[in-house]
Amino acid sequence: MTNEFIRLEHISKSFGKTEVLKDLSAVLHRGEILGFLGPSGAGKTTTIKILTGQLKPSAGDAYILDTHIKNIDTAIYEQIGIVTDHSGIYERLSVYDNLKYFAQILGVNTARIDELLNRVGLYEHRKKPAGKLSKGQTQRLVLIRAVLHEPKVLFLDEPTSGLDPSTALEIHKMLTELKEEGMAVFLTTHNMEEAAKLCNHVALLNNGQIVEYGTPEELCLRYNQDKSYRLLLTDGSKLTLGQTPAEIEQLAALLREDKVNSLHSCEPTLESVFLTVTGRSLQ
Amino acid sequence: MSKTQTTTSTKKTHASGIHWNKLAAIMKLKTRALFSKNFIIMPIFAVGLTFVLKFLYGFIANGNEEILTFMYSMALGLGATMNVSMTGMVCTSMALAEEKEKHTLRALMTSSVNGLEFFLGSIIPVLVMIVAVNAILVLITAVSMSPAGWALWLGISLLCSVASAVLGMILGICAKNQVNSSTLSTIPLLVLAMIPSFSSFHPAIKKISDLLFTGILMNTSASLVEGTPAIDALGLCVIAVEIALAVIAFLLIYRRNGYDAD
Repeated sequence: MTNEFIRLEHISKSFGKTEVLKDLSAVLHRGEILGFLGPSGAGKTTTIKILTGQLKPSAGDAYILDTHIKNIDTAIYEQIGIVTDHSGIYERLSVYDNLKYFAQILGVNTARIDELLNRVGLYEHRKKPAGKLSKGQTQRLVLIRAVLHEPKVLFLDEPTSGLDPSTALEIHKMLTELKEEGMAVFLTTHNMEEAAKLCNHVALLNNGQIVEYGTPEELCLRYNQDKSYRLLLTDGSKLTLGQTPAEIEQLAALLREDKVNSLHSCEPTLESVFLTVTGRSLQ
Repeated sequence: MSKTQTTTSTKKTHASGIHWNKLAAIMKLKTRALFSKNFIIMPIFAVGLTFVLKFLYGFIANGNEEILTFMYSMALGLGATMNVSMTGMVCTSMALAEEKEKHTLRALMTSSVNGLEFFLGSIIPVLVMIVAVNAILVLITAVSMSPAGWALWLGISLLCSVASAVLGMILGICAKNQVNSSTLSTIPLLVLAMIPSFSSFHPAIKKISDLLFTGILMNTSASLVEGTPAIDALGLCVIAVEIALAVIAFLLIYRRNGYDAD
């Protein structure tokens, strides 16, 4: 098997006369996180459904773990994990029994359950009925259920949406670790900070179309046309300088005279790139 | 969510053989669910009904052994019919509807469980429960049966349970949630449980009852007590045809929609 775990080739999808995905192409390699970034209704979840065999594309081809999506079977499902809004849990079962059930289905040693529960801080809640967990705890349960069998590819559909910052940070930490362990992660989000922090590559999706594709740094620099620098001076004042010869000279002088407390370049964020490209915000 | 989006979701994991670990896991979970308060009420109702009928019929028979035996066979038939209809159809349908409502069905189907494993894992515990309860009903009514009679009774109960459970799976596919599943089950439940109950009231009802698998079960209980042949070729044909029809209908609906027709 190559290191290419997912390949999308000119994927389109229509529901009736409405085209929701238009000519999507992208690649996800082992140990990478690919972010599909876009507002609600951009086609992110539809893309996941196509890649996981839950929907057929209207046109184009896609491959997951060297298997064409039309040939996805239970053998592929044994190698992928999926976390979506609709990843249900058995509310009457305990946290532990929820995981034990899927461990038995996926042929996983139950020792891994304790390891994962400890990893996400749910071990002390293992006997609690899953229906009594908070939203953040439930999301962590769903996430560890999805990685129970150490899948090669993990699909995450808005995994931190609606979560408190500390839970979101825990999930980010876990995703980074999983990536380092070699898992390929297909992440959809409308949170640009999350995408910039976690993703090796991002695809900006608008109205079902990839409008930009690259690493977060590449995209930000590509749209960094009006270069400027934000300064905090020793006297407490703030200053923004551009790239004109006079401003560069002013900056050099301030640095020479040691009047600069902090200096930041003002390249655009992914959100402002998205706004520039599409004329709409991500929320 | 559009219909097209959801209909393919659970169809993809087509049956490609059975993995016993997966089947065992599903059966274990479904058995556990069957003993939860939402579901256990149904076999308990059948047992309770039989108890009450035995008591009332005993009172009506007023010590007349011949009438008492006839009455007890009726109590057995009514209890068993209720058990097969309610536990078989309603429990199966509600359990599938619950999996859909709570989005656990999608999680299962994208965790490498195939359609056949889910189907068998869902109905086997129900079949075992129905047959076990029908055996208990015989003990409650103290109807005397030979070993061959027992085998026949349990065998017919099992066949009727299969028809009922497959009907339940069909209703479960069509139901959006548990409430909807209860609503959809009401009319089939009335037909399957009530028509055999009133079959002795009018020849026309009896004719209809004889064309229902629950009616055949009712007849079997009476015949076993009377010592006449428990089931004839027509009765067996009715059960076989109804199982076949239920399975064909299930397969047609499943092939079109998967388990998620919503």
